[in-house]
Amino acid sequence: MTSLIELAGITKVLKGQKEPRTILDGVGLTVRAGESVAIVGRSGSGKSTLLSVLGLFDRADSGTYTLDGRDISKLPERHAAKLRSSHFGFVFQRFFLLKHLTAAQNVAMALVNGQGWLPRRERRTRVMQALDQVGIAHLAKNRPAKMSGGEQQRVAIARALVRDPRILLADEPTGALDTETGTVVIDALQEATTRGCALILVTHDRDHAARMGRIVDLQAGVLTERVPVLAGAGVDAPTTELPRIGGPA
Amino acid sequence: MMRLSGRLRSAMIIGGQGIRARKLRTLLSMVSLFLGVLAVVVVQAGAGIAERLQLSDMELQNGIDGTKVLYGVPSAAGASQAVADTLKGRQDAVAMFSMNAVIGEPGVRPVNEGGAPFDQDWGGVQVCDASGRCVDENAGKPKGQAIELRITALTGDIRPFRPYRPKSGQWLDFTTTPQLAPRLVLNEEAAKGFERYHVPAEMRITGAPHNMTPQLIGVVKDGDSQPHAYLRLDELTNWLPLDRMTDPSSGYTDVQVALAGSTPVESVLIAKLKALSGGADMSAEPINSRKEMEDQLDLMRVIFLAMASLVLIIGCAGVLNVGLATVGERVEEFALRRAVGTPRAVLAGIVLAENLVTGLFTAAAAIGVSVAALKAVTVVLGPSEPFLQGVEFPWSAGVSGVIAGLVAGILGGFIPAIRAAGIPIATVMRA
Ligand SMILES: Nc1ncnc2c1ncn2[C@@H]1O[C@H](COP(=O)(O)OP(=O)(O)OP(=O)(O)O)[C@@H](O)[C@H]1O
Ligand SMILES: [Mg+2]
Repeated sequence: MTSLIELAGITKVLKGQKEPRTILDGVGLTVRAGESVAIVGRSGSGKSTLLSVLGLFDRADSGTYTLDGRDISKLPERHAAKLRSSHFGFVFQRFFLLKHLTAAQNVAMALVNGQGWLPRRERRTRVMQALDQVGIAHLAKNRPAKMSGGEQQRVAIARALVRDPRILLADEPTGALDTETGTVVIDALQEATTRGCALILVTHDRDHAARMGRIVDLQAGVLTERVPVLAGAGVDAPTTELPRIGGPA
Repeated sequence: MMRLSGRLRSAMIIGGQGIRARKLRTLLSMVSLFLGVLAVVVVQAGAGIAERLQLSDMELQNGIDGTKVLYGVPSAAGASQAVADTLKGRQDAVAMFSMNAVIGEPGVRPVNEGGAPFDQDWGGVQVCDASGRCVDENAGKPKGQAIELRITALTGDIRPFRPYRPKSGQWLDFTTTPQLAPRLVLNEEAAKGFERYHVPAEMRITGAPHNMTPQLIGVVKDGDSQPHAYLRLDELTNWLPLDRMTDPSSGYTDVQVALAGSTPVESVLIAKLKALSGGADMSAEPINSRKEMEDQLDLMRVIFLAMASLVLIIGCAGVLNVGLATVGERVEEFALRRAVGTPRAVLAGIVLAENLVTGLFTAAAAIGVSVAALKAVTVVLGPSEPFLQGVEFPWSAGVSGVIAGLVAGILGGFIPAIRAAGIPIATVMRA
């Protein structure tokens, strides 16, 4: 199987106030379709920055980014927008729902984005299907203000899934949720990988990380693959010591 | 084509959601735009009306623009007769023979000596003879119930030249046979006098051998502050010989001829009068009130334009302000939409859609309301206030109001869109 994503030598330098700071330092990463990858690392190590490079929110300063065998390192914004729509789904720690829209409308936002056009009926079918996948179809007409954090995050996941993305990017999606709710959210994300979608999850939770197929460790902008110590020991066994920080950020 | 229409439709849907989501914001900017357009239209219509008003007052006294007036018909023997004969039965030229008259008790000093307005006192009236000796016309007479007024005898209907506005009763009818008792149409000041003072119905004119019994048949607005009455020349000539009407020794006589812009009467009449007066030079002067007032009108227009612009700027500031009040929220929304793949061009479309939908709707409403209001005002007040007739809807003002409002709205919408388009999505989503 060919790889879906190939990062090589990705560097991101922040031209800050005084001296430039290297946030990502020659990051290399390969992700295959249907694979799940956890990115772990200390706060400030550059995990979110890496994710925003992966999701074409931002560009690397050097290095190559290959998607589906195509070099997209220097893709113009117009095409990047199209790829974000067709290939990527995003979930953030803050749910980023539009509070003036219902759950269904928030999900439909990813369909009504100027990239192609679906008739209303088909839009509705897809939206309800996505909400159903995350188990909150009954909340379709609710606005975010009337939903719990876990429900809101699942609306965000439905929004990420509604276009059947090839890659799901999640940046601490459980950071603002309690353990049990977090587990439900991770379940919903992992479910997508069964349909061939790659999942890249940034997390501080060792249990959630352990449920991913691979774990990569980011430290001061340098990425290292973590080889499972207890291969085949099951999800309950801690694979290795993970950096720990305080409560949810 | 499909892609374009998808973008367009997306922009419309998202714009519609934005309008519904921010009802108060939308309402406030609609109110700003509505009032702005309305105010601009009202101010400009007001300028038009004020201009008409000024002009119509001048028309009453000087004549309608484009007509002509022959001032100072010579007092040579036969001149009055020549004027009356030449103009008899004509509508394109009307002669006005003016003089003073007294209505009321005989042998008394009139309540308004000299034909003064009733709330003014012009004092005694001196009449001077050729040798320069002046005497008080009413010397030795006691004050009594008599009104002195200016009367103007007409050879025909003067209103095509001076559009006197009817206030009550009738205007003179020149088609009927003349009556022995002259019918008088008063101006408002004269009507006031007859309301205030009950005077015997007896009219005296210097030079007339007998007194006459006038009938008052109507009141008009003629723009004259002195008491004034109009009557048919052929009803006056029963009592006063034509030549006496231009006799300088009988005092205050004056003859003018109002002429249509181009009429053969002009040259005929002037030729006759020249012959009678031994070749004295005379010509009819065209009336051009608008030109005389141009400086004044220019100033007025500038003032009104400044007012309109000010109002418009205030309205636009309102629209802009309301738009900018939600920048933070919108920047986040736009960044999120970009994250799910919405192209920047569609963001611009959203802003345009929101503003065009609300802006054009509001503008149409504002223009509709002001057109209707202007129509209502002219229909209700038009007949009695002729200056309202011909007041045009100030389309240029309306349209510039709409454009300014739309520009302000779009500017207010584009500022967050441009900011959202400029910063990396990651930065917004990190905040
Ligand atoms: N726009 C920015 N301006 C200034 N500094 C930035 C900006 N973006 C990132 N950084 C810096 O880059 C570094 C990496 O940030 P990043 O958000 O990627 O870390 P992270 O690993 O996601 O941290 P956390 O686990 O707390 O989310 C941090 O030191 C941060 O201060
Ligand atoms: Mg982060």
